[in-house]
Amino acid sequence: MAGIYENAVKVARRTMTLFFLVDTSGSMDGSKIGTLNSAVEEVIPEIYKLSSDNADAAIKIAVLEFSNGARWITPAPMDAADFRWNHLNADGLTDFGEMCKMLNEKLSRKAFMSDVAGSFAPAIFLLSDGEPTDEYQKELGRLKENNWFKKAIKVAVAIGDDANKDVLAEFTGNKEAVITVHTPEALTKMIRFVSVTASQIGSKSSGVGKGGVDQATNKQNDTIEAIKTTVAEDPVGGVEIANTPVSSENQEDWDW
Amino acid sequence: MAEYYPKGYKIPLANGSYAEIIQKLGEGGQGVVYRVAIGGKEYALKWYHKGAVQNPKKFYQNLENNVNKGAPTKAFLWPLYLTQPVDGSFGYIMELRPKNYREFSDFLLAKVHFQSLSSAVNAALNITNGFRELHRNGFSYQDLNDGNFFIDPTNGDVLICDNDNVAPYGESLGIAGKARYMAPEVVRNLKRPDVMTDRFSLAVVLFRLLFLDHPLEGKRVVEAPCLTEELELKYYGKDPIFIYDPTDDSNRPVRGVHSNAIKFWPLYPQFIQNKFITALSKDAMTGKTTRMTDNDWQLAFTRLRDTIITCPCGSETFINVAGDANCVNCGKKIPKPPVLNCHNHKYGLALFPGVKMYRCHIDKDSDDFTQVIGEVERNPKNPAMWGLRNVSDIVWNVETLDGTLKPIAKGQIAPITAIKAIHFPNSIGIIEYSK
Repeated sequence: MAGIYENAVKVARRTMTLFFLVDTSGSMDGSKIGTLNSAVEEVIPEIYKLSSDNADAAIKIAVLEFSNGARWITPAPMDAADFRWNHLNADGLTDFGEMCKMLNEKLSRKAFMSDVAGSFAPAIFLLSDGEPTDEYQKELGRLKENNWFKKAIKVAVAIGDDANKDVLAEFTGNKEAVITVHTPEALTKMIRFVSVTASQIGSKSSGVGKGGVDQATNKQNDTIEAIKTTVAEDPVGGVEIANTPVSSENQEDWDW
Repeated sequence: MAEYYPKGYKIPLANGSYAEIIQKLGEGGQGVVYRVAIGGKEYALKWYHKGAVQNPKKFYQNLENNVNKGAPTKAFLWPLYLTQPVDGSFGYIMELRPKNYREFSDFLLAKVHFQSLSSAVNAALNITNGFRELHRNGFSYQDLNDGNFFIDPTNGDVLICDNDNVAPYGESLGIAGKARYMAPEVVRNLKRPDVMTDRFSLAVVLFRLLFLDHPLEGKRVVEAPCLTEELELKYYGKDPIFIYDPTDDSNRPVRGVHSNAIKFWPLYPQFIQNKFITALSKDAMTGKTTRMTDNDWQLAFTRLRDTIITCPCGSETFINVAGDANCVNCGKKIPKPPVLNCHNHKYGLALFPGVKMYRCHIDKDSDDFTQVIGEVERNPKNPAMWGLRNVSDIVWNVETLDGTLKPIAKGQIAPITAIKAIHFPNSIGIIEYSK
């Protein structure tokens, strides 16, 4: 005879959505989009494991690509368990403003943030190699008024030197949250590291014991700290964070 | 991210021998756990990520101190040996976790269930006792949370892990922990973790263990669409409200969301509910009143275990030492069985087939809830007849209803209906029948 605990259900968990915002403009074509596709595909099982072992929150994934216009690849945030990465193709312009607009529409309790058990603020991971080709300022301005966006962990990876880092810093609200990568290896590593770290920090109850009395912690800062520490402790060639020097000296790496 | 040590890699230990890597077992925020071999025997090695420890020198010395002091009880997966500091980091060796133990979070995520009420109550008792002994040995744990326990779902045996944060009273290793388990004063950054804050965390862990939801997460927490860092500070720090606070119903569990609390809380006897209500009262949380001690909890769970019987439906249930009860599974009425009143109502043991009597019941100076002294059995020829068998080396003197004393030695059985009282070396157990 089974005990009464057989009837226990999974504890109520909040949701933390990890957004991938992927630049699929023409300049991403070739090894950039190829590397990105493989790296994201490979990190998904790790995100799934983080979610399935996590008693604080479930992690969901949402993907928005932007080139000529912007498109949600996921009609709604998907459980990491069910999510399969469909390889993206690169072609067209960089409609950054359109991406901001579409993200803003979904960052709402009436749209993507509708879990009954509530949510943690999302983690938003932007990957781009270029410069907006549309008038993005107005839409980015609106997005920055969105409370979900304000509270989100925001990290951007600039792929190569042609990426407009000022725009990315404007998006993340912090120069140090913009990481520049110069090699496929660096892109692969940083996709894994940013996805995992932002998911870990974003999907857990916040850490305590830092800052002053009655001062809330800041998960965005915790994420940036974690990224900086790791890059400092375990140098990855071809990675640059804000003002830190590039750690690769191999000139062949500088093709991007 | 961290690179991993390959199979066969040898890490030197502080004692001069070495640990040979067999495989990676798991990884957390602080480090990686490997299966290793030392002199032909297998152990676990926890290896810290570079930079994961705030003050490595102090941390290392503290681990060294813990290794030397030894584990408070066998429930601890305690550091046995330290490695030498190599490759810019260090680690420690502990026993491997046997496979029958599952992570606490697996219970919360319903990947595994307690097999019975008594396995859940035993787990609560074992966790409480572990922390009592830890505190009695002069340590505080500092970072109690759902990642620290492995539990055997069949019997509630517990292994307490991550003992690297354990430090002597007054020492703080800069361990911060997570808001959901930390005492409000730690969340607010008014205080560093210590024994008093451990007590709060213990109450949260015990609540989650038995009721499989969070004691501070009800209506008002769910109603917040986005749990920001500021709201966490409020809900777990500045203004925590217990979901069953009788003085404030603003944070009650929500149907469809907190299903476990709604299901399991009412099944537990009032005296256990009251312990949580006291431990998680606003005054106890804000530090206006003292917190429940480990000893209070241990006594409460020992008393609770005394009331667990198996209903004819096959499920375990609690009896009510003061009157009738209903089975938690089938709902049928369970009349109050005879109860052995020990040490003037300190314990009340239900004398029902299958129930065990422990050392704490017969020895007024003992709180040993593990050493079995007696057991209630059915007469194989007449199952309606129950007897109490002495399985200890201590001879009991059973006082029968007509007032005569009859010695019951090891292996002998006294029919329960014939017992008025049992005289133990330093105490008397008196049988109370239902009226």
